[in-house]
Amino acid sequence: MITQDIRPILSALLRNRTGAVLVALQVAIALAVLVNAVYVVKQRVDKIGRPTGMDIENIFMVTSAGFAADYDHAATTAADLSWLRSQPGVRAATLTSGLPLSGGGSQNTLYPTPEVKGEGTSMNYFDVDESGIDTLGVRLVAGRNFRADEILPEDPTYRKPVPGFIVTRTLAKALFGTEDAVGKVTYDGLGRPMTVIGVIDHMQGSWVDWDKIGQVGLLPRRAFGPRALYLVRTAPGQRDALIKSAEEHLSVSEPRRVLQYVRSLDYYRDRSYQADRNMAIFLVTVTALLGCVTALGIFALATFNVNLRTRQIGTRRAIGARKADIVRYFMVENWLVTTAGVLLGAALALGVGYSLSRAYQLPRLDLYYLVGGVVALWATGQVAAWQPSRRAAKISPSVATRTV
Amino acid sequence: MLAMRHISKVFRTDLIETHALRDFSLEVAEGDFVAVTGPSGSGKTTFLNVAGLLEGFDTGSYQLDGVDTSGLSDDARSRLRNEKIGFIFQSFNLIPDLDIFDNVDVPLRYRRMKAADRRERITSALDLVGLGSRAHHMPSQLSGGQQQRVAIARAIAGDPKFLLADEPTGNLDSLMARQVMDLLEQINEMGTTIVLVTHDPELARRAQRNVQIIDGQVSDYRPYEPHAPAAREPVPLAAGAGA
Ligand SMILES: Nc1ncnc2c1ncn2[C@@H]1O[C@H](COP(=O)(O)OP(=O)(O)OP(=O)(O)O)[C@@H](O)[C@H]1O
Ligand SMILES: [Mg+2]
Repeated sequence: MITQDIRPILSALLRNRTGAVLVALQVAIALAVLVNAVYVVKQRVDKIGRPTGMDIENIFMVTSAGFAADYDHAATTAADLSWLRSQPGVRAATLTSGLPLSGGGSQNTLYPTPEVKGEGTSMNYFDVDESGIDTLGVRLVAGRNFRADEILPEDPTYRKPVPGFIVTRTLAKALFGTEDAVGKVTYDGLGRPMTVIGVIDHMQGSWVDWDKIGQVGLLPRRAFGPRALYLVRTAPGQRDALIKSAEEHLSVSEPRRVLQYVRSLDYYRDRSYQADRNMAIFLVTVTALLGCVTALGIFALATFNVNLRTRQIGTRRAIGARKADIVRYFMVENWLVTTAGVLLGAALALGVGYSLSRAYQLPRLDLYYLVGGVVALWATGQVAAWQPSRRAAKISPSVATRTV
Repeated sequence: MLAMRHISKVFRTDLIETHALRDFSLEVAEGDFVAVTGPSGSGKTTFLNVAGLLEGFDTGSYQLDGVDTSGLSDDARSRLRNEKIGFIFQSFNLIPDLDIFDNVDVPLRYRRMKAADRRERITSALDLVGLGSRAHHMPSQLSGGQQQRVAIARAIAGDPKFLLADEPTGNLDSLMARQVMDLLEQINEMGTTIVLVTHDPELARRAQRNVQIIDGQVSDYRPYEPHAPAAREPVPLAAGAGA
């Protein structure tokens, strides 16, 4: 029945196509932008939401810098750690060389042979002590943790080789494939052997935009001074209180250093994802605005058509159209315009998606997004045309005889 | 049969009440050709709108072909309009975006007729009004008289019992007016009841019955008298207007 009605509606539409063409173009652009924007937003949201592998909500960090000539790094860090570890609510604390997810950290290249040839494998490493695993909240899945007596003393020159270290599963796979990594040997840039003693399930490293963010290694070393960076893990819900008390205590406990920052780890994570979040917010805003403008355009076209055809609508009513017939006329007309726009927009969306994926090495546009966008615009069109269509149905049939 | 009894209809605006019809009673029998005349503002269009179910009324009763029309739903009224009534308007009211064929098709589609049925009716209606060869012209490509003939084709394509025409010749010159009148007579002879509102006494005289409305009431009611054959000078449809 509907399809039978379409032909005359379409031929009438084609005779007055200027407005319809403009609105269809608007729909097309809206669809192309919508689909690609939602796709990009989805990727950003996924990126921000990736598991960190760490107990990120309950970790904070402390940085301090010794400045006095008689500043004793070893003594100060020992005192700080023992104070931190003694606080109720603190589960573990460690001195470390870098802050995960912060954008700052150290990277090293590992090689399969002592000759140090070929590409090597990148490792984002963190110096930690025997509390490192516990402090990060990462899960050991094979091998063992460091013993306290294995932790190398501080050494700014890195002259001492690291005999055993812990890797993430991702790094293990990059180094050794699917083989069991524990006990395997790899070589640092100087060709010195390093043996894997443990494997942790997962941990994100320093740089959120790095495609190898999961290739992390933990090295048993006391980070050198005079700057000290501590990671502290608390019991759930205690972090903020402990941040405060740590700040109070450490800023006065040792006059030969200054306390720099005491902040939660998720502060740094959020800061690292700021650009991604801004992009997502921007795209959502633009898309919402475009959606509103498109709905307004459809609404305006339908309203214009209804006003233009007042007498025609009255005549149709006079010769037998029910109110529902009038509503359907305008809904079908609108649907035809939206569909033309949606078809054009789908082609546009695929084109834009393809060139975006070429330009930014993004994965190709998922067709589900296109289907979703098409449905969304169809729905937008019908919602926007509903009120004018209802208004058309209210036009009295007597308009046909009363207007000259 | 079309029977109005004691109909009144009031238009209320902020300033005034207009009694467009007052205690208005009229019967139109099947097969009649009634011409309605009267001064401007007397209520002719209001009567026709009530008769054609385009407007309601305040008091009284109105039976259309045996159906009591008061209390009918909007859909039921639309359906009655579609099936029993053909409307012809002073300004033709063709749909400008549809060609002649599709214009005649409009009421048939609202009746949910099959395509083959519709095609047959459209063709024969257009043939009857002498515009069969113009089926795919647009209304703007036709003269006024031709447009009104298309409107007549549209009105009769659904084979209604009643044809209501509000000054159908008001926008036409006298030659075209006579063609339209000839056509209406021809349709009446085929059995359709016609109510024609006109200002033209010449045309009114050609009807079987004349009704005069003054101030919302039937003031003069001239019953059927067989009219003199001399009054009829049919103008050949296919000639003159260039159909
Ligand atoms: N919608 C309306 N609102 C208010 N008053 C109306 C309305 N329609 C008609 N009227 C009034 O009702 C009265 C009858 O109007 P109607 O159109 O029936 O007259 P008519 O006999 O057809 O006149 P004409 O010969 O000029 O067409 C007039 O006084 C008119 O002003
Ligand atoms: Mg009138």
